[in-house]
Amino acid sequence: MPAVTGAVEGQGSAMGLKGLLKRSAFAALAAGALSLSVVAITPSASGASTKASSSSGGTATMALDENLAGFNINTSAASEFVLQEIMNMVWPQAFIVNNKLQPVMNNQLLESAVQTSSSPQTVVYTLNPKAVWSDGTPITADDFIYNWQAQSGNTAYTDVGGKPYDDASTSGYNQIQSVVGSNPSGSAACAPGSTADRNVGLCPNGRTITVTFKPSFTDWRSIFTDIVPAHIARTVGWNTGFVGPTQTISGSWYTISSYNENQSLVLTRNPTYWGTPGKLDKIVFQFFSDDSQLVPALQNKEIDIFNPSTVNLSIVQTANQVPNTTKVTLPGLEFEHFDFNQADPYLAKLQVREAIAHGVNRQAIITRTVGEISKGITPLGSRMLVSTQAGYKGTPYAYNPSQSANLLKELGFKKVNGYYEPNYGPQSGQPLTFTIQSTSGNSIRAQTEELFQAQMKAIGIKINIQNYDANTFFGTNLPTGVFQIAEFAWVTTPFVSGNQPIYCSYTSTQCAENWDHYANSQVDSLMASGSAAPSTTQEITDYNKADAILWQDMVTLPLYQKPQFWAWSNNLKGVLPNTSSVGVTWNAEDWTVSG
Amino acid sequence: MFAYVIRRLLISIVVLFFATIFVFVLVASSGNPLALLNANPHIPHATIVARENLLHLNDPLWQRYWIWLNGAIHGNLGTSISGQDVASEAISHLFVTLRMVIVATVIAIFVAIFMGVLAAVRQGKVTDHAITVTNFVLLATPIFVLGLALKEFVAIPINQHLNKIIFYTDGEQSPTLSGSFFSRLPDYAAHTALPVITLVLISYASWAIYQRSSMIETLDADHVRLARAKGLSQRRVLIRHVLRNALIPVTTVVALDFAAVLGGAIITEIVFGWQGLGQWYLNGVLTLDTNVMLAYLLITATFVIGFNLLADILYGVLDPRIRYA
Repeated sequence: MPAVTGAVEGQGSAMGLKGLLKRSAFAALAAGALSLSVVAITPSASGASTKASSSSGGTATMALDENLAGFNINTSAASEFVLQEIMNMVWPQAFIVNNKLQPVMNNQLLESAVQTSSSPQTVVYTLNPKAVWSDGTPITADDFIYNWQAQSGNTAYTDVGGKPYDDASTSGYNQIQSVVGSNPSGSAACAPGSTADRNVGLCPNGRTITVTFKPSFTDWRSIFTDIVPAHIARTVGWNTGFVGPTQTISGSWYTISSYNENQSLVLTRNPTYWGTPGKLDKIVFQFFSDDSQLVPALQNKEIDIFNPSTVNLSIVQTANQVPNTTKVTLPGLEFEHFDFNQADPYLAKLQVREAIAHGVNRQAIITRTVGEISKGITPLGSRMLVSTQAGYKGTPYAYNPSQSANLLKELGFKKVNGYYEPNYGPQSGQPLTFTIQSTSGNSIRAQTEELFQAQMKAIGIKINIQNYDANTFFGTNLPTGVFQIAEFAWVTTPFVSGNQPIYCSYTSTQCAENWDHYANSQVDSLMASGSAAPSTTQEITDYNKADAILWQDMVTLPLYQKPQFWAWSNNLKGVLPNTSSVGVTWNAEDWTVSG
Repeated sequence: MFAYVIRRLLISIVVLFFATIFVFVLVASSGNPLALLNANPHIPHATIVARENLLHLNDPLWQRYWIWLNGAIHGNLGTSISGQDVASEAISHLFVTLRMVIVATVIAIFVAIFMGVLAAVRQGKVTDHAITVTNFVLLATPIFVLGLALKEFVAIPINQHLNKIIFYTDGEQSPTLSGSFFSRLPDYAAHTALPVITLVLISYASWAIYQRSSMIETLDADHVRLARAKGLSQRRVLIRHVLRNALIPVTTVVALDFAAVLGGAIITEIVFGWQGLGQWYLNGVLTLDTNVMLAYLLITATFVIGFNLLADILYGVLDPRIRYA
């Protein structure tokens, strides 16, 4: 059984990744950097710590086990981990989080990115003058201006048709005061800009971009990832315009050459790429609706690599039987949790949420589920950081069924035939019943739900289970708030500020991923001050304080840090599992195939 | 005969018409496709109203049915919740499924007839027992088990032995496939083989059992004894006098089962990652997409009615004693 500490099977050596993993309900908070210093890397932008030695060419096929809901990864609807794994190679990233979880400047897109002033915080990006989109349009300050405006949360900026921007996250962008271009290529003068494009006087054709933050944003390296082509977005629309390869042009190593919905997506080398080209001719992403098909497909050489959204014992055991493959299990940045929707008249009551939380024996759930895959997993004590991150401060929350009963009695609920009956609302005089929902086809989640159902029955709460396909669950049910209790995973980034849109008050338009209808001004203020803190230490302290309040308010119940599993053919070289939300394709431009 | 076919066609249209009413009422009552949007306080009311108007959700049921029927008659099956044209989506997914189901059905018919005849001719002997036991084992095997077993114990070992992919385990075709139709054929075949074998094994077994029973019954018929008494060869007796008559009940079963195979291919599609009609329908059910569900049920109902009619016509072709009044 692989240990949580990251044993690499098949290659016979420990990779020693310090780490975290990813996936599932990808929070769109992708990318970013841990406020660490910039790591210079050459010649590849991503700076893989080991480079592939095989020759260029060939095709690698990667399995993805969720379908796409769109191509603009920065929107809440399309913000999925699987899309990030594709877009890592398609849209330009100012910084890339490498497998050591360090934010690394993309030195093929940028010549430099330097904080030139701390008050007000000012960062100057200098673009590579050769950087162009695959349609030939230069990548300029205009792209930075547009991406800032679209994700700023400022309602003065609107999408085509005057619609508000649908953002997966406004974190960081909402602290930008201005984005101004300068130094256009060659001897050209600054373009005047246009009112329609909202860039008058901002030198949109500039190759140097000056970004001023107010208040300061500690994790400034976490933004300007997945830069959307402004000239396309202004035409087709940010929210729903990116529906296929035609609109989703490339500004990076690879371009999308074909996409068959729910079947496959093919990346080919971007012919207009100005930097070191990707080593593979093609990267094919093949979509699977059922994780159980992944191992046979690897065994049959139909795919070269997979990373299931949720690892289960069966996948690990069967994958271990496949010869000539490498298998890696690591603890990740992803944690499973229960969400309580406070729009529900009963879950709106703190006592009910606390009663449920006290009634959940998290260790028992772990033992019966992921504990079989990886030993030593314990209940997670934070929503902001996972146990393998510096600054993690675990808050214990006791399993205490008798406390659950007391809390429900406090509310005046009476126990009849084993279930508590509320004395108000639509369930008055009926057993207190909730529906838990999650993604279908996930055996660990199904098992967790069943255990949760049994544990809740023991404390007098009736639980129904209703699961949906990932598209419906993540694309519709969660964003539209159509759930009572939901089980899924957040994929955190190394940047703690990425948690802001999840837990800040839902009444703010900037909190796109607070689907639980939770609001607390104290939490808002702590996260805001943390994001503007002068140091990462202070930032983490503030976020840990906010987390303490979230425990008091029992907004969500973290369950455990999920183990992450990768398996790939030994013919595929250069793979370095990355436990952050950018996924294993963070260095796919360096992958090669042999044999 | 011609008049009979026309009359049956007209009756079929009436049956189909009532089937659509039944299905429409059933589906329209199954839930509000905009329920999720309605429950979201962030969605502007105007957006919801626009979607309701697009889907005619505020119109009376009969009016909605009429709009749908009028559109369906003209080949317009409306749009899905995600805004896709249902008719073109349905046709695209139908072709994916038909590619699998037609090939499987044709092969299964031949296998079923051969196995049924062989078992009947060798009645009570080892061959008969072996075929019968095999048939019942296959009948009792869940289709997903068979599919997974074929992947694991047949396809992968063969591919590994030959160090070449002869059988693909996922998808309808390779993502990077290009070139002329004929150059793509081997890839199609390699992707289609396993799902087709799965469907053949599941479908042929029951048909072979029918064929065997029918053959045994016909072998004892007076006209067969007379044919033998006339000194006709065993081969001629079997083919001309037994098989032709014994095919009649099997024909009916096969015709009726085709629609079931079409609908039942959903599990095969999931196991082998095919984006066919079944997967499309399943997604429609999960998203309460009325138009998608209606289109699927309309297609399957059409197939059921069509193949019922075909069975009746084949009856007349295979048995001249049957006359249509």
